[in-house]
Amino acid sequence: MLRYQENNELHLDFHGTTNTTLDYVAENYGVDALKMILRKTGHEVYKSIREKLEKGDASELIEHLNWFFYREKGKYDLRVSEDEIIFEVLECPAIRHLRKLGLEPSGHVCLQTECVNEGMCEGTPWKSSLEIISEGHCIQTFKKEKQQ
Amino acid sequence: MIPSDHFVRFYNEVFKFLDEKNGLEKYYLHISKHQELHCLELFTEKGLQGVYEYYQKIYKEENCQGKVELNGHELILLMSRCPSLSKALDNDAGVCSKYCLHCPGWTVPIYTRAGLYQIFDTMGLEKAQCCEWIYDVKELAIAKYNELIQSSPKENIVTNFEV
Repeated sequence: MLRYQENNELHLDFHGTTNTTLDYVAENYGVDALKMILRKTGHEVYKSIREKLEKGDASELIEHLNWFFYREKGKYDLRVSEDEIIFEVLECPAIRHLRKLGLEPSGHVCLQTECVNEGMCEGTPWKSSLEIISEGHCIQTFKKEKQQ
Repeated sequence: MIPSDHFVRFYNEVFKFLDEKNGLEKYYLHISKHQELHCLELFTEKGLQGVYEYYQKIYKEENCQGKVELNGHELILLMSRCPSLSKALDNDAGVCSKYCLHCPGWTVPIYTRAGLYQIFDTMGLEKAQCCEWIYDVKELAIAKYNELIQSSPKENIVTNFEV
């Protein structure tokens, strides 16, 4: 079950504010500061997902990926096995909306995904990775490490 | 992607970071510049009617509870339950104590550029409620400010004009 239940109207223009914020932090405080904020967001805001991952339970992470990309009409493919989650985003709703607004996606736009996912997995048996295929197309992988 | 539903919780983390660096004010100005894309033309060309139209959309999309009321030269934006602070409060990462200040932070420069007069009553930073009065006649704004300070703590009130 999702910690943050969101079922109402969407304000997609927030993607624009995120985009400008990514550039602002990177330009004024450095990319490492931006990565730190994003990882902290993943680690602390998504504490509930992380704590489940610690126990080997990826159910909230799967629901999170599925629900929010479905809500924003993203095109994606979600493949789940016991030790691996592969989430292929075929059309990223955030980048699609930035283009609709006439905004150039920040050079750091995919750090949102990379660092938030890392933050969610930090201290758990799960490791995340991100492969960017092209604009708006990426493969997010979550792999459970074998217990020694 | 940070879902648009969760943007405010990321925003909240950015505020915590910037507050430690004493960098909130400069960031608000940057966000204000960005927000011009969405509302400056509307506010400048249509005045209070433009503000009314913008906030009709915002109240719906952001699931605000309150009312937007246009009465001649006065527009009232009453937020009885702010969805933004509500989400920042309903948050395992904890809320930035200055969260509310981003709102006057980005709107003050925009109303000023649009030639409108704003009075913002935060009603305190810990409650998910606030009220704004916007005027297109300065004398009316001054009169409202003078009325408001009789009942609201002065530190809760932000204006975009000298009082």
